[in-house]
Amino acid sequence: MERSEIRSLYLLAAFLVCAYAVPFLVGAWVGNVRLDQRWLGNLATVVVSGVMQGGVYAMFAVGLTLIFGVMRIINAAHGEMVMMGAYLSWVSFFYLGVDPLLAMVLTLPIAFLFGVAVQKVLLNAVVGQPELTGLLITFGLGLVMIYTAELIFTTDFRTIPYAPGTVHVTSAIAVGQNRLISFVMAVVISIGVYLFLKLNRLGKAIRATALNAEVAMVCGIDVQRIYVITTGLAAALAVAGGALVSIQFGFNPETGVLYTLQAFAIIILGGRGDYVGALIGGLMLAVLENLVSLMVPNGTAMVELAAYGLMIFVLLIRPGGLMGVKEG
Amino acid sequence: MGSQGDGALTDLGGDAIVLEARNLRKAFGGVRAVDGCSFAIPRGKISGLIGPNGSGKTTTFNLLTGVTTPDGGDVIYRGENLAGHKPYEIFRRGITRTFQITRIFREMTVLENMLSVIAVDVPNRVARARADELIGLVNLTHLRAEYGGRLSYGQQKLLEFARALMTDPDLILLDEPAAGVNRTLLQHLLDHIHRLQASGKTIVIVEHDMNVIMNHCERIFVMDYGVKIAEGPPAEIRSDERVIEAYFGRRRSAEHS
Amino acid sequence: MTRHEHVRNLVLLGLVALGLAFLPHGLSLYLRSFTLFTMMYVVLALSWNIISGFTGYTSFGHVAFYGIGAYACAILVADYRWHWLPTLGVAAGLAALVGVALGYPVLRLKGPYFAIAMLGAAEGTRVVATVWDRLTHGGLGISLPSAETSLETYYAMLVLMVVTIVIAYVIGHSRIGVRLNAIREDEIAAEALGINATRYKLAAFTLSAVFPAVAGGIQAYKVLYIDPPSVFFVQITIAMALMSMLGGKGTVIGPIVGAVLLYTAQEFTWVNFPTAHLIAYGLFIILVARFMPRGLMGFAIDRGWARKGMVH
Repeated sequence: MERSEIRSLYLLAAFLVCAYAVPFLVGAWVGNVRLDQRWLGNLATVVVSGVMQGGVYAMFAVGLTLIFGVMRIINAAHGEMVMMGAYLSWVSFFYLGVDPLLAMVLTLPIAFLFGVAVQKVLLNAVVGQPELTGLLITFGLGLVMIYTAELIFTTDFRTIPYAPGTVHVTSAIAVGQNRLISFVMAVVISIGVYLFLKLNRLGKAIRATALNAEVAMVCGIDVQRIYVITTGLAAALAVAGGALVSIQFGFNPETGVLYTLQAFAIIILGGRGDYVGALIGGLMLAVLENLVSLMVPNGTAMVELAAYGLMIFVLLIRPGGLMGVKEG
Repeated sequence: MGSQGDGALTDLGGDAIVLEARNLRKAFGGVRAVDGCSFAIPRGKISGLIGPNGSGKTTTFNLLTGVTTPDGGDVIYRGENLAGHKPYEIFRRGITRTFQITRIFREMTVLENMLSVIAVDVPNRVARARADELIGLVNLTHLRAEYGGRLSYGQQKLLEFARALMTDPDLILLDEPAAGVNRTLLQHLLDHIHRLQASGKTIVIVEHDMNVIMNHCERIFVMDYGVKIAEGPPAEIRSDERVIEAYFGRRRSAEHS
Repeated sequence: MTRHEHVRNLVLLGLVALGLAFLPHGLSLYLRSFTLFTMMYVVLALSWNIISGFTGYTSFGHVAFYGIGAYACAILVADYRWHWLPTLGVAAGLAALVGVALGYPVLRLKGPYFAIAMLGAAEGTRVVATVWDRLTHGGLGISLPSAETSLETYYAMLVLMVVTIVIAYVIGHSRIGVRLNAIREDEIAAEALGINATRYKLAAFTLSAVFPAVAGGIQAYKVLYIDPPSVFFVQITIAMALMSMLGGKGTVIGPIVGAVLLYTAQEFTWVNFPTAHLIAYGLFIILVARFMPRGLMGFAIDRGWARKGMVH
């Protein structure tokens, strides 16, 4: 590695240590930190919870990194696709009486087709243009999705009562049953996607295109088809994420915006088109968010700030994102 | 190196030196693109820099012009070490260059391409006059208001060449000026280059086209594996064993002229 | 452009400014407000264009400066009893400082990363405004005491708009503008031609921060109430970008035309289709980005109605 690469890695490691120390320091200063067993149990629960949440984040964020990697388009409507997934599972639960997770068998193919349509109608014309065009067109799509959802479902928050109750992972650590189930599903799906990308010929073609579309074309890869399949896959993953989120948290048409921002942060942390990167980014973000919400007063607003802060500082230290892909 | 009475550096052939590269090094990852390369460019002459693919020629150009930062070594120009300086600082000291794949500004007009160049303390009228003069020199006047991206490849090369001359630089580095250019246009370019040299400028050309190098350069530097392996007038280089081996020996794709 | 054309444009601007100066006396309060906000969006779009249209560094968080200006003025007027005019100067100065401080690290990022970082910066500023309630009253927002007639803010915005247009025009049609464009086209080649890209980018970024801040301050005094979500509204940045793109990024007339057209269209759809207008807006954004990425000016140039390039 070049000298500057090594230096920036050290700097990054130092920064991350500080970043994770901050919630503790603030919490200690404010008096939220107690070193008794119960509090430590709380802490452990929060961390484990964060890891589980991170797994779900990573699952829908990887779709965003795939679209970015393959087409160099930032999908500002990604959170809205997650929101769409949440509503789809809500509808199947309340109107069709189907278990929201089982409903994925139906909703994921629909999502895939939706992604295909979006790519063909909107994104294809915008590939290769400066990033603003892609951002604007997907932002427009997001707006349409939010306000159509508002027309249909109103702005009321919806929840799906699912698997209530807690599960004790260890004697001290208890997580919600629904969160545990989400996590397991996310892991299953993620492993599936990871293996697909790694071993399947089509998956490898996707990764190749994400690395260098021109070279991929020369190697005989039908780049058009890759674009379409990638977007479909990303949409399906987002909708799956939405289903998993819907059984844990309340949602309304506007909650997608926060997910989009978090997915952006995960792109930065995780690089482009790389599943492992998305996973690391998702875990890092979720754990930090949970630590902050536990120990820092005014938790929810600070959680957002934590996401942005993490993102900006990582970018400043390594302008190509955490995985160090040099741009330009 | 010797030195003449007035203190100017000279090389072994007695020519005055305009720029000296000492022990330049640059590695990308594990690949040592330039590995201790040294040479001295004679003032007022047309020099050539040749070598098989991957020998480090373009990287050397990049090191000399600040586009890439060297890992080590010096670039001495007018008594100053320019190694590690930014491209615009090097530009302002009188060194300009063209690129292997033309880097003209595609969505700007020909005139705007010319005017984008920093010419410090020169009023608009003077800059515009000079731009028009150079545009005329390369016969692009009729395309003055056309987008750079709409020009043919040859015209783009001419534009980039003209653009590099806006500030009347002393040292001009041309990276593969003949690539992808037809015979007539090439002759035009070479005429321009000779005229520049006659007016006292120093020019260095990186090229694969052996005709151009052998027939137009007074001194040739040969690189291989990141170092200079030979140096001298065309006649010597043509028969230099090391050069022949570098190009045709071992397992290399043969160069075509 | 020839000197003749420059004079013509100046006269045109003067006439329009004069017309706008006399306009409010004959208009209803609603229309007066409408004109004020149209002028504000001209300022915003032109400013955004200075950094993102010319140098190509797409700032997706420019609303941060607008909000900072709004808050600077609101705090000084509401809590410290300043007269509102000097607060605009403070807003401008503060925005310049933040512009330099933020710009220096952030402009090192390339394309999409810069856009996302700016978005993060804007959202982060919003959160800070919400959380730092000792200074900003947090989520409660700030109410300003009203002491003006609706004309003062109108004229302030008019002056700001004229100043912004003049500066954008001077930059756009000069060699400075050519160099900013060169940075967008090919930053490495630009540096090889003597352009200190860092300095030019930073200057453009800082300049582009000042006008939105002043606009935010004037707006605060007009609307008399601000809170974090309203002044750090991401759709304001979207509007800036969309207006520039609609009219033609990288030109001077483009953002002006785009701002007037888009704001008028927005008001029209909002008034007439209160529930569906955001869906229409979204569709509109999609259509513009899909079919007219080079904007109206690009269209005009292709047809030969306008000249290519900015410096002739």
